[in-house]
Amino acid sequence: MIEVDSLAAVRAGNRILDAVTLAVAEGTVTTLVGPSGGGKSTLLRCLNGLETFAAGRVMIAGHQLVAGDHPPRALERVRRDVGMVFQGFNLFPHLSAIDNVTLAPRIVRGVPPSEARGRGLKLLDRVGLARFADARPATLSGGQQQRVAIARSLAMEPRVMLFDEPTSALDPQMSAEVLDVIVELARGGQTMVVVTHDHGFARRAATQVVELVAGRVHRAGPPAEILTAAGR
Amino acid sequence: MTGGRRGERCGWRWWRAVAACWFGLITAAATAAELDDVRARGELVWGADQEGGGPHVYVDPESPTRLAGFEVDLADMLAAELGVKARFQQGQWDRLPLLLGRAADCVINGIESTPERARDWRCSRPYFAYALQLVARRDSPLDSPEALAKEGPRGPWRVGVLTGSAAEIEMRRRTDLAVEVVGYDGTVDCLEQLRGRVLDAVVMDDCIASFNADRFGELRGIGRPFAGGTYTILTAPDTPRLSAAIDEALGKMITDGRLKALYDRWDLAGRQQMLLLRDAAEVPPAQRGSLADLIRGALPLLLRSAGMTILLSVASFPLAILIGLAVAVGRLHGPAWLRPFLAGYVEILRGTPLMLQLYALFFLLPKVGLALPALVAAILGLAMNYSAYESEIYRAGLKAVPAGQFEAALALGMTKWQSLRHVLVPQAVRIVMPPVTSDFIALFKDTSVCSAITVIELTKRYSVLALSTGRIAELAVVTALLYLAMSWPLSLLSRWFERRLERRSERSQA
Ligand SMILES: Nc1ncnc2c1ncn2[C@@H]1O[C@H](COP(=O)(O)OP(=O)(O)OP(=O)(O)O)[C@@H](O)[C@H]1O
Ligand SMILES: [Mg+2]
Repeated sequence: MIEVDSLAAVRAGNRILDAVTLAVAEGTVTTLVGPSGGGKSTLLRCLNGLETFAAGRVMIAGHQLVAGDHPPRALERVRRDVGMVFQGFNLFPHLSAIDNVTLAPRIVRGVPPSEARGRGLKLLDRVGLARFADARPATLSGGQQQRVAIARSLAMEPRVMLFDEPTSALDPQMSAEVLDVIVELARGGQTMVVVTHDHGFARRAATQVVELVAGRVHRAGPPAEILTAAGR
Repeated sequence: MTGGRRGERCGWRWWRAVAACWFGLITAAATAAELDDVRARGELVWGADQEGGGPHVYVDPESPTRLAGFEVDLADMLAAELGVKARFQQGQWDRLPLLLGRAADCVINGIESTPERARDWRCSRPYFAYALQLVARRDSPLDSPEALAKEGPRGPWRVGVLTGSAAEIEMRRRTDLAVEVVGYDGTVDCLEQLRGRVLDAVVMDDCIASFNADRFGELRGIGRPFAGGTYTILTAPDTPRLSAAIDEALGKMITDGRLKALYDRWDLAGRQQMLLLRDAAEVPPAQRGSLADLIRGALPLLLRSAGMTILLSVASFPLAILIGLAVAVGRLHGPAWLRPFLAGYVEILRGTPLMLQLYALFFLLPKVGLALPALVAAILGLAMNYSAYESEIYRAGLKAVPAGQFEAALALGMTKWQSLRHVLVPQAVRIVMPPVTSDFIALFKDTSVCSAITVIELTKRYSVLALSTGRIAELAVVTALLYLAMSWPLSLLSRWFERRLERRSERSQA
């Protein structure tokens, strides 16, 4: 589903990704771990074209991304098949929860409003928030907001989901709510890449753990191998 | 940022208003200069409008630092007769009498004798006889002033006049004519508009018409002059001796033939002129009506013009917002080649006065074949001027939307324009609501500038009424109350928006 080949990215003269090569099979969960500044977010954002890279190649959900700029149309096609959930939720504050979820299907995929709403309500139910369909993001807790954000991404029926530290901004209890949703998704066979510092989650859900240090793949393998007792 | 710049502008306006009030108080307390003061000073200061044009007073096209005109010569002769030098004082023509007792000793500028003027100021004996002349293009179907009684091929005849002139008073009084009267601040503007087919005819003093005949070859006088009168020299009410000295001097100049010689030099000495000068009867002063009558008469007119003020504001501001938003989006997200043009648009409109922009739209566009009706030019001018300010506000608003919002929209597969339309702009609109509402109030007041291009809104109506009735202060209060009655609800609305937004941001921080 994802193949990253010899990826290199340079920012402000620093090589922050260097010869990164990895593969993610369909229906599996890969967690990206590693020290702060290791390049995890940058790698994730290269996967859906939010950032460009200097060398290498990415194959994702049947699309190919190469080094340098891409025409906007090509990026839009990639992003329709690749969902992303951010550390800061980034919900649209002027829209209710259900409108956050249905906006992209309506205007990007052209789904009729009533159908989009029906599917949106199902998704909100799946993340346990059917009751809050008409609430504005500002009235929801952090955990609830992140679950709406996940529903918003799922509404585009992406083939791959990318999560960038989805629970770092949350307290333990709210983290647990969000992680439960993600684990549930993983069980349902959703292909995903999750950046996390939470080794417990990695052990519980990951098929593969990739450790990025200073822009390079330091180690990669099954959780049991990489996440030794010495790990955090 | 724009907010600050706009704040400075308001502050400056406020200081100017305060300074004007103080100036008014100080000068109102001072008494007008009498004959002895003029002699002691050695100068007779005479007020006129050099923009008003020839043959009265105009800037000599051959040497633009010099004033020419028969009234310049007359002022020199008059001053010499009083044993002093003449000094010119510029003023806007329809407000010249307000200079008396403050900046000028007398006004000599084709001021027609009317009963109202005789009541409010001292009027000298006549020094010139004028008649009204109808002017039209050579190809016009108009063949006499009487032809104005029946509508023309395009409906009522559009007839231009100088604001506040005898021609305006006469044409507005004549309910028997099928005319729409349009007031202008300058003769040349008025004739240009006739040449450009915006007007069907112009009515002006005959001497002005013949003076401009060479320059406007495609125009001609229609029929004989009608409804004439005389020009008078105005002085302040409390200067009986100055006024008497001027009368005496004029009398001397008439009897010893110097005035006739002057008019011969300017080719203005018709037989009628001389007869009228000799026998002109004094104009009896008008009576002052009661305040209640005045307000009863003026209020409907003022209310109608307040309607125009509202129309100008509500028609132009939404347009300003749309253009401003488009410019802001273009500058932040448009193609690179477009951005310098948009930046230029904003800088030009912010860096030049609104008045000049309105002039360009109304008086210059017809020269390239695009004659806009005054109302359209006014709405467009206001909209464009304010679009520059709105675009800066929106630019700041768009920048204030967190970057994560754009990324989240893009990550969902939206195009740049979809992200703008559904995610960024709606949020920016909410952010900029308070400054935009307060700009609406500013625009509402700026509509008064539109009077420069013949649109009669509240301020213009006030000044016309104030000058024709002499009730300057009373009508000012009524007009100010009308403005307040309109802008107060707007202020409340903008404060309501602000409170709503504050509450919302408190909630989202909680
Ligand atoms: N646009 C940029 N310009 C300059 N440096 C950048 C830019 N983007 C990222 N970097 C640098 O690249 C390095 C990797 O950043 P990245 O955000 O990918 O790390 P990360 O592994 O996600 O770290 P964290 O765990 O703190 O989120 C950091 O040192 C960061 O400062
Ligand atoms: Mg990161």
